[in-house]
Amino acid sequence: MGKHITTIIVLLFLSGIQACFYSDTEMYQVEPIPGDPPLFSVSTNLDTLYNPPVNDSLEVTFSVQISGGELYYLYADVVNTTVYESDSTYGSFWIYPSLAESSGVDTLYMEFYYSSNSNSLADKVGYEANTELQKYAIFFNLEDEP
Amino acid sequence: MRKRLAGIITLALLLGSSFTLVGQTFGLTVSGGLASSRMNDMKYLQEHILSTYPVPGKITSSFPPYTSVAISGFKQLYDQIRLGLAYSYTTTGGKSSYADYSGNISTEMTAISHRVGGYISYRVLSGSRLDLSLNGRMDANITSMTIQSYYEIYSYYNGLSNKYRSISPSASVEAELMYKLRGFSLGINAGYLADLAAELEDVENGDPLLDPNDLERTLVSDWTGWYVQLKAQIWLKF
Repeated sequence: MGKHITTIIVLLFLSGIQACFYSDTEMYQVEPIPGDPPLFSVSTNLDTLYNPPVNDSLEVTFSVQISGGELYYLYADVVNTTVYESDSTYGSFWIYPSLAESSGVDTLYMEFYYSSNSNSLADKVGYEANTELQKYAIFFNLEDEP
Repeated sequence: MRKRLAGIITLALLLGSSFTLVGQTFGLTVSGGLASSRMNDMKYLQEHILSTYPVPGKITSSFPPYTSVAISGFKQLYDQIRLGLAYSYTTTGGKSSYADYSGNISTEMTAISHRVGGYISYRVLSGSRLDLSLNGRMDANITSMTIQSYYEIYSYYNGLSNKYRSISPSASVEAELMYKLRGFSLGINAGYLADLAAELEDVENGDPLLDPNDLERTLVSDWTGWYVQLKAQIWLKF
């Protein structure tokens, strides 16, 4: 009888150890309801030009219109080189012929990151973005370089 | 505060020292069950932390009644009166959280109470099998409070953890009903603990845990509440 009681007490003790440490494993799961996506548009001085030439330099100006959201960042890349980055909705930068090794047409990529309005946790802390990629053909003219 | 604590410890030692004065019979008890706790300030802090979330999170638990265990040694002074020393461990906590496809954020609070003190028991009714007693107890109550916040957004994660403590005097009264078997007894006890709320301070640097909306006020731990436990008691004869 005494043996059984000891065994029962030991088993009760062992099964109760876990209960001595408070824990709550529940996680409040949410399916975020997305808001309307921001209305995004961008205009540059290259919009109406056909293969604008980079002779001694080329200035690029841009302006972002965004409604119902926020522009996070812009990266401008050409010939695998980041030539400009900014979090401003307008600005300008220069492209120089020294970026290219030879004459010819190359592509300027302008990648805009802006709020997704998904209402998720990442969206609320600015860690989730929609992207808009603009491409412009530009002509590197190294022939006329002095 | 320190004087009060010293007083409680002295009382406990006096109770303990009386073991050697009179009587012949000693015993041990082990009990386990549930205890509620007031913890109003911690619930308030939990609400405040939740309000700082960038998303609408939820409190999934807020200091519910949770595990309480105790062990005590006693000496039967007279037929109806016994004195003893006791240790109790109680824990509870709270959690607020939010999770969606992009990540999650959570804050967990874990509170642990270690109570050490002396008690006196008076047997009100006694039968061949059943004993009904009233117990009173005074303790030093040491609280350890851990607050951990953690977030993970896509592949990025971060978190922080702070540990606070407090020491307070507490007193409890309880009723105990025991069923006597050969050499031991099984039963149940239920009571009410009054804890003199004590200010929490950071374990590492001693900084007080301030009310975020009133920096003149320090938040306190408060274990005041009801408890109910199953109890086992054995007699030791020397």
